[in-house]
Amino acid sequence: MKVLLLRRMLLSALLCAAGAAGEVTYQDLLDDPDVASDWLNYHGGYAGHRHSLLDEVNRSNVESLRLQWAFQERIEEKFEVTPLVHDGIMYITVPPGDVYALDAETGARLWRYSRRMPAKLIACCGLVNRGLAILGDRLFMATLDAYTIALDRKTGRLLWETKLIDYSLGYSGTLAPLVVKDMVMVGTAGGEYGIRGFIDAFDVETGERRWRFYTIPGPGEFGNDTWSGDSWKTGGASIWITPSYDPELNLVYWGVGNPGPDWNGDVRLGDNLFSDSVVALDADTGKRKWHFQFTPHDVHDWDATQVMVLIDREYRGVERKLLVTANRNGFIYMLDRETGEFLKATQFVKQTWAVGISEEGRPIRRPGMEPSAEGIEVFPAVAGGTNWMSPAYSPDTGLLYVSCREGSSTYYKGETEYRPGTRYWGSLFVNEATMDKWYGAVRAFHPVTAEKVWEHNLFRPVWAGLLSTAGGLVFAGGSGGFFKALDSESGEELWRINLGASILASPMTYEINGRQLVVVASGGGLFVFALP
Amino acid sequence: MRLLTSIALLAVIPALLSAARTHETNPMSSPEDFEEGRRLYRINCGVCHGMEGKTGRGARLARRSYRHGNSDAALFDLIEAGVPGTDMPGLWLEEDDIWRILLFVRTFAEKASEVCNASGDVAAGKRVFDSQGSCLACHTVGPRGGRLGPDMSFAGVQYTDQQLRDALLEPSREVTGRYETVRLVTAEGERVEGVVMNENSYNIFVMDRSENIRSFRKAELQSLDLPEESLMPAYGDLLSTADLENLIAYLCSLHGPAEEVAQ
Ligand code: HEC
Ligand code: HEC
Repeated sequence: MKVLLLRRMLLSALLCAAGAAGEVTYQDLLDDPDVASDWLNYHGGYAGHRHSLLDEVNRSNVESLRLQWAFQERIEEKFEVTPLVHDGIMYITVPPGDVYALDAETGARLWRYSRRMPAKLIACCGLVNRGLAILGDRLFMATLDAYTIALDRKTGRLLWETKLIDYSLGYSGTLAPLVVKDMVMVGTAGGEYGIRGFIDAFDVETGERRWRFYTIPGPGEFGNDTWSGDSWKTGGASIWITPSYDPELNLVYWGVGNPGPDWNGDVRLGDNLFSDSVVALDADTGKRKWHFQFTPHDVHDWDATQVMVLIDREYRGVERKLLVTANRNGFIYMLDRETGEFLKATQFVKQTWAVGISEEGRPIRRPGMEPSAEGIEVFPAVAGGTNWMSPAYSPDTGLLYVSCREGSSTYYKGETEYRPGTRYWGSLFVNEATMDKWYGAVRAFHPVTAEKVWEHNLFRPVWAGLLSTAGGLVFAGGSGGFFKALDSESGEELWRINLGASILASPMTYEINGRQLVVVASGGGLFVFALP
Repeated sequence: MRLLTSIALLAVIPALLSAARTHETNPMSSPEDFEEGRRLYRINCGVCHGMEGKTGRGARLARRSYRHGNSDAALFDLIEAGVPGTDMPGLWLEEDDIWRILLFVRTFAEKASEVCNASGDVAAGKRVFDSQGSCLACHTVGPRGGRLGPDMSFAGVQYTDQQLRDALLEPSREVTGRYETVRLVTAEGERVEGVVMNENSYNIFVMDRSENIRSFRKAELQSLDLPEESLMPAYGDLLSTADLENLIAYLCSLHGPAEEVAQ
């Protein structure tokens, strides 16, 4: 009797162990954009399109979209998350170090993981995190105290944590990691603190490091001579946005942050590779296949941490694997993503620092536009022509949608000295004089010609990203708290709601029980909409 | 001028983030400090952790190593900030008073050896846990195990041997919060048994026996039962006394990942 019971229990134990139901496979991640119900990666797919095949909510009915449920916390930091959804559960990060699992249909909380953080975290621009990555039954997060951690997706239990580096030197993790095959990849933020940026890949099972790539080459490595003296040791080049990935080429495309000190380049003469660049790394080895630098020797803080949008299209009569990105410096770039060859750059917001871009893709600088002791007004403003918020690309319209920022800053240059864990800026920027004239807009571009097809004025400068859907919609947010649905072909506003606080995140969408839901974070809340 | 405002604004940020602690190690040591620490502990901590650090609804403090760090500085920061997401609150007291409390808390460790003690055989106990007793089907130790019951990786620092004995013999006497048992029958007649993950007026969220997380609308269920009994079987009849003692010895030996103990 006893034995029988034990046997049965043993059997159930074995069944539990084999119960792989709902596990996310690498194939699922590859298929993510085609499986519209889930959202398995920060961008909703490796190509960085932030486009969903869901069309239940569409041009004809979006006007009746209404709130389905909301999630609220006392979030004093900026809430920048893009949720993941899988198997009826939504996973979010909440600053500074929490992860929640929510029932995706009703918003009810299922578990919460809360990381105890050191008292003095160091982050230039808010204690933020942007989301998670998922594989198997595991969630992955880059933490503000510079760890990568793995949690059990059903209980929130910590499975492993691997230290990237000592956070007190100014390093932090804010991006949603990227999972490729059996690796989870993260990079480190901290470009305003004299860090030396890097990218790490870890074994998803054990948390052991597979490879590291320094975004600033060390002595003897290619590019180290683009930094004068010892400046490579403290040159910044942070990573804080999830890269895109091309599974066929096995290349991961990382947008790299600004060189430091930000506004005084005198201590770091040279091009400062790979700051303000995209680096294409072999996913298995972390070795650089190619790089392209948008802003050599940057002195305006123009990180290239914008989303790299991977598009296959015809260019000059030849079908090509393209990488398109709207850069903070005010130009949209198009590269061949196999080779890194520069194809084209087109200005997309007002800019006054460059006369143009050369055949090789180098900016031709307008003299006298560097920061100075007296201050110099330059377009775009320090936050750039766009920033980290996601663009969207619709295969239906063939258009690239970008949240644009118009305006200028006054850039000052000053002395600076490196002290570990403190700001390494080289003076600063001031916006008071110019802020009144700033505005924001959603613009639709033809990605190949970069011709502007339409514009939707959002009046105030934007920090919200975009979502495109097969319903012919582009969802956009404004700093005034408005969340909107635009017609993806004309930019015409079809629906809007005031969420009451700035939107500082990019929207996403998923489906549960045959209903499409659209989500965006605003203030300390997450708002989820559906048709009645 | 404008430049100055910007600089002033920026300077405020680090000030807000800085902690009150000015020492790395406990500067308090006198008998008066100790007595004051005991008094403050009784008022602020005793309800949850017990006056000997052994009982209550908080973590057991009578142990040699703490999950959240062992240095004076780490414990100070923990007591000051609390543990977000748990019952452990932050404490708004003067720096010196927190150090005094810590002076008192440190004496618990002396009593640590008496609290999880069993004469059984650890290796044999592990076998019972992993296979014979099927404990691993519902509990994790390190990376392995099931999710229906609480994690046992820190059992040796979380429970006394008596608590473990009670849990094994009479699991239903006190069912740990967050692991309430549920039995329900859906409209289609499907029977589901598991633990409650959350519940509100309209829905109930269950981790079923196969560890699927499922949600149900209460109004649509044929029946919903929340029996005050544990999903865990009582082991008095299932394991021999020797097996039980071995099992408890094994559980007492679990102190979390090796590096946490070594801190
Ligand atoms: C309302 C209940 C409650 C009160 C009051 C409380 N605690 Fe706690 N304490 C907890 C809980 C619950 C935990 C476990 C937190 C966790 O899961 O990490 C904890 C954890 C701790 C830990 C960490 C144990 C470890 O292993 O890392 C210490 C130390 C501690 N408390 C000390 C104190 C002190 C000192 C006070 C009084 C100033 C106090 N607590 C007041 C509930 C409480
Ligand atoms: C069918 C699943 C299941 C099995 C098998 C099982 N447990 Fe449990 N166990 C639970 C659940 C659920 C709880 C939480 C509810 C409670 O307190 O009883 C629990 C609670 C406990 C607790 C008390 C935890 C606390 O915080 O109070 C201990 C100790 C424990 N189990 C040990 C064991 C050991 C040792 C075995 C193997 C001999 C075992 N369990 C087998 C499900 C199980």
